[in-house]
Amino acid sequence: MGVATAWSFLVPPAKGFQKPEMARIFLWHFPCPMLAVFLLMFGAWSSLRVFQRVTVKPSFSVSPETDHAMKSLWDLRAIAAMELGYLFCLLTMATGILFSEAEWGAWWSWDPRQTSFLIVLLIYAAYFALRFAYTDSGKKAAFSGAYSLATILPTLFLVFVFPRLPQIKNMSLHPSNSIVGGLIKGEYGQCVCLILALVAILTVYLFKLRVRAGLLEIRQENNDGQFEHLGNGSAPTGVVRPVSLP
Amino acid sequence: MNSSWFREIRAVFMKEWQSEMRSQSGLITGLLFSVVTVYTISFAMLNTKIKGTEVAGLLWVALLFSSASSLPRIFLAEEEQGTAELLRLVARPHSVFWGKALFNSLQCVVTGILLSVLYLGFSGKVVTVPWLFAVCLVAGCLSLAGAVTLCGAIASQAINRAVLSAAIAVPLLLPLVSLGVSGMRVSLNDGLMSDGVGAAIGLVGYACATMATGPYIFAAVWKS
Repeated sequence: MGVATAWSFLVPPAKGFQKPEMARIFLWHFPCPMLAVFLLMFGAWSSLRVFQRVTVKPSFSVSPETDHAMKSLWDLRAIAAMELGYLFCLLTMATGILFSEAEWGAWWSWDPRQTSFLIVLLIYAAYFALRFAYTDSGKKAAFSGAYSLATILPTLFLVFVFPRLPQIKNMSLHPSNSIVGGLIKGEYGQCVCLILALVAILTVYLFKLRVRAGLLEIRQENNDGQFEHLGNGSAPTGVVRPVSLP
Repeated sequence: MNSSWFREIRAVFMKEWQSEMRSQSGLITGLLFSVVTVYTISFAMLNTKIKGTEVAGLLWVALLFSSASSLPRIFLAEEEQGTAELLRLVARPHSVFWGKALFNSLQCVVTGILLSVLYLGFSGKVVTVPWLFAVCLVAGCLSLAGAVTLCGAIASQAINRAVLSAAIAVPLLLPLVSLGVSGMRVSLNDGLMSDGVGAAIGLVGYACATMATGPYIFAAVWKS
């Protein structure tokens, strides 16, 4: 990552920009929306798997513990994807705003792409608001999962269709043919590919770490519950529990 | 769709209709909201000449907030009155969604027509392409009703359900508002006809997609 970061500062300033040296922000801006949208879609797919365990698979084919464990695992994957996606959404907005100021002379210029991505950010925020509004873990998984499935269509529209509508496209300052038109080439092309690959690998690592942390948390809660259940309220042998002194 | 499905959907729809006729709270609130919104906008824009895009934008904003604040009530009331459990026992999830979404659609279309008539009357704007205006209004109201019904169901058991249902519905409805404004402004003689037709097709597609996927997502959460 260090090498990629250094390289991103060492590439030559791009031509045709208001501030050529600020064009380097593109190298970090480019992977963020791609990963954000991918993670939002992966979060929705993980939520779908939560429902599939409940509604599609007959309840007699899996034991209740296995079914519950699988649901928890897919829910953890969904929340990990949504959390990382939200982070990338924020990074997209931050790098986009910086670029907007450098290139178009205003922090916020109501560009259709900026505006549509802000709505995606609001959709992510609504997902978390909904998740925090439920205390029961089962309901949390089911209701937030349903919402993430309902967001697929508006998100795809906002990211891929809205900025390309004929009446909107003409208003936008944001380039939309950088990849298809082959405008990213030479050292910029190599550097952006390296950064995209490295950020994707880092994302996978963070995703797995988040899921593992969530599983440990669930296991810890289960163990606490078992101690309560086995000991009939009192601690089992070998476990030191806090006592209140008179 | 066989007769048992139709009977269930009709029963849910009639239940909502009779509840509404008994209290008439939704009807009166909608009427009052429409009059107050139109009057407020007209008062704020006193002696200002506004273009078709602005008229369409303000009309859609009024429609968005009117539906996001009143339509989720249909599920919140079930949970608050404790009748949701009975409904879970007597009707299949798809029927519940369709019955409630149809009732919400009717309510939204009535509010939309009322808002449009009042607002166009106050602003003095003439609709130059009436069929486009009607398609945008009806398809938009169907999409709004479908999405808001689903959001109402999703938030119905949450802690702060009344505020939350509107908060989670609005971001989902913003693309719809953008399409609605694009289509309606053309019907008010502001923009190219091809753009308006494209937006109307988009609205119809959005309505179909919302009504088609809504029951499946709803079925997954209704028994939770």
